[in-house]
Amino acid sequence: MTTALFVQLVVNGLVKGCTFILIVLGMDIILRGTKILNFAHGQFYMLGAYTLFMLCRLWHVNFLLSLALSGVALILVGALSYLSVFGIVQRRFTATTPFTYRFLMSAMASVGLMLILQQGTLIAFGTTERGMPSIFPQIIALGDVRLSLEKLLIILLSMFICFGLYLLMYKTKLGLAMRTVSFDPEIASLQGVNSFGMFIICFALGSALAGVAGGIIAPVFAVTPTMGTHIIFTAFLVLLVGGIGSYKGAVLGGVLVGLALSFGFQFLGGIAELFVFVFVIIILIFKPGGILGEVLD
Amino acid sequence: MEKSSINRKMSKSGLIFGSMVLAAMVLLPLAVKNAYVMHLFIMAYIGILLGMTFSMLFSAGLITLGAGAFYAIGAYGSTLLSTRLGLSFWAALPMSTLITGIVALAIGSIIVRHPGMAFTIITLLFAHVVIQATGQMEFFGGWGGIIGVETPDPLGPIQFATKTSFYYLILFLLLLTALVFHALYTSRIGRVWRSIKLSPPLAESLGINLYRYRLMAFVVASSAAGMVGSFYAHYFQMVTPEAFGGWLSIYIQLYAVLGGLEFYILGPAIGAVIMTFVPEYLRIAKEVEPIITGVFLLLIILFFSGGILGTLRRFWRAKRPVVFRVKSRHKLIAGPNVLRDE
Repeated sequence: MTTALFVQLVVNGLVKGCTFILIVLGMDIILRGTKILNFAHGQFYMLGAYTLFMLCRLWHVNFLLSLALSGVALILVGALSYLSVFGIVQRRFTATTPFTYRFLMSAMASVGLMLILQQGTLIAFGTTERGMPSIFPQIIALGDVRLSLEKLLIILLSMFICFGLYLLMYKTKLGLAMRTVSFDPEIASLQGVNSFGMFIICFALGSALAGVAGGIIAPVFAVTPTMGTHIIFTAFLVLLVGGIGSYKGAVLGGVLVGLALSFGFQFLGGIAELFVFVFVIIILIFKPGGILGEVLD
Repeated sequence: MEKSSINRKMSKSGLIFGSMVLAAMVLLPLAVKNAYVMHLFIMAYIGILLGMTFSMLFSAGLITLGAGAFYAIGAYGSTLLSTRLGLSFWAALPMSTLITGIVALAIGSIIVRHPGMAFTIITLLFAHVVIQATGQMEFFGGWGGIIGVETPDPLGPIQFATKTSFYYLILFLLLLTALVFHALYTSRIGRVWRSIKLSPPLAESLGINLYRYRLMAFVVASSAAGMVGSFYAHYFQMVTPEAFGGWLSIYIQLYAVLGGLEFYILGPAIGAVIMTFVPEYLRIAKEVEPIITGVFLLLIILFFSGGILGTLRRFWRAKRPVVFRVKSRHKLIAGPNVLRDE
């Protein structure tokens, strides 16, 4: 293996990993805040990619501005779907509702949402792949290592978003309120936090992250209606590797799975996904809560 | 099997209604001559069986999204046994059930340790990987699948050439499974499962080994799914990875949720029959169908969370005053809210 190929594979793996990180961080925020396992998350990611495609390609808006706008659009979609579906489902629960029932009801509601969004997009946009020209087509050459500027920028941008998220969650009052609600909504209410409002914010923020992830990746890969369904399985894999509900785990798991898939596809072909899954099962035997060992029920 | 609730003794009207439904199921091929309608009934019964496996895990407090995986393992196991080893269906069916059970035991002994969200996600991923594995590996026929699975050998005078014979075969499997499941639900095991579902810490404090009982539910339910898979392979005479992937695992839960989650046998039965026949007779275009299914699912969860049977039971209970019957003395004792509706 040459150095050039190695660096190329690492960068490709990190680009994949960054998408997973953003998606899974969104899932984790939703999971921690509202205790919903959101199956429609892949569709939010797809909607983000379509929003960016439409803004950037069809209406020629600046890339960064349209990325921000696709985040805003997904905030609206997320808040709306929480208010119209999950909020109503969760309001019915009382303190004695068994966990199984709560979990199944909200998960099934998200499955319903997933079916509607998936097929709705398929009908609206058709099955054709939408390609986008590269926003930054420059190539950086370091000796015989050639990297596209775009991929490096994606990695940088994702790191920037992760850092911003860290500041939001751990350094602001809003983040404190969100963490309190995820600890216990009733105790949060006693401290004067509007729990229901925080649920909406958590869900909207998680959806926005999925939308931004879709927007970031749109110039690199083709935009298709089924891209959400394809990525959701790998995203769940990352969620398990890192530990369900763990932010650090999401970052670590995203990088690991991204690299593993990038190298696996190069040397093993399509069967790489299988190996990664078996690897995850082996990890789970020894570390039930993912590699960082944080367990959230 | 046509019992309205597991907890209560069967009422006389329930018994009559149940026998009528059973008789209708047995006599159905006499009335229906259309081969396509028979095919739909067979598919509905397959759906009922798969929905029942989901309900069994739900009764033990586990939510699976991987029923399709064990269905596929059963189908592929049976296909390989009959095409490669030349076994007859009657040997391949129990053997593939056993194989599925062993796979479920191996996988389950790892994943049942983490009930809750992790379990659900792993079952979903497992289903995904089984489909990918069968598609990628040449041994399993690749994405094209394996064709030319033999139909079951004649059983005495019965030839398995028509839909009717397959109908009776799946009806037999359905009733057998329903009886076994019902026996499990009414036995101590079923009560332990329900106690685990209600509150795992409470069940554990009574000395119940949660892991063992959850694993038992997982293995029994998965074996049943494998058995259905074996039937499927010999009925269609071919297996392809796509038949077990996609939305299948989601539809399986939909059967149980639609019929009523608290009705472990009747719920999936009603849900599967509705989900098979209603789209067919409304002549809904294949494109729009998932949207309608999704809206349907949301409406059920938002407004009729008990499913069809749960909603019916709520109306039934609201109409009648609560009366407790003390059997030994044949005396009626009125409950506290007997005057509520008057």
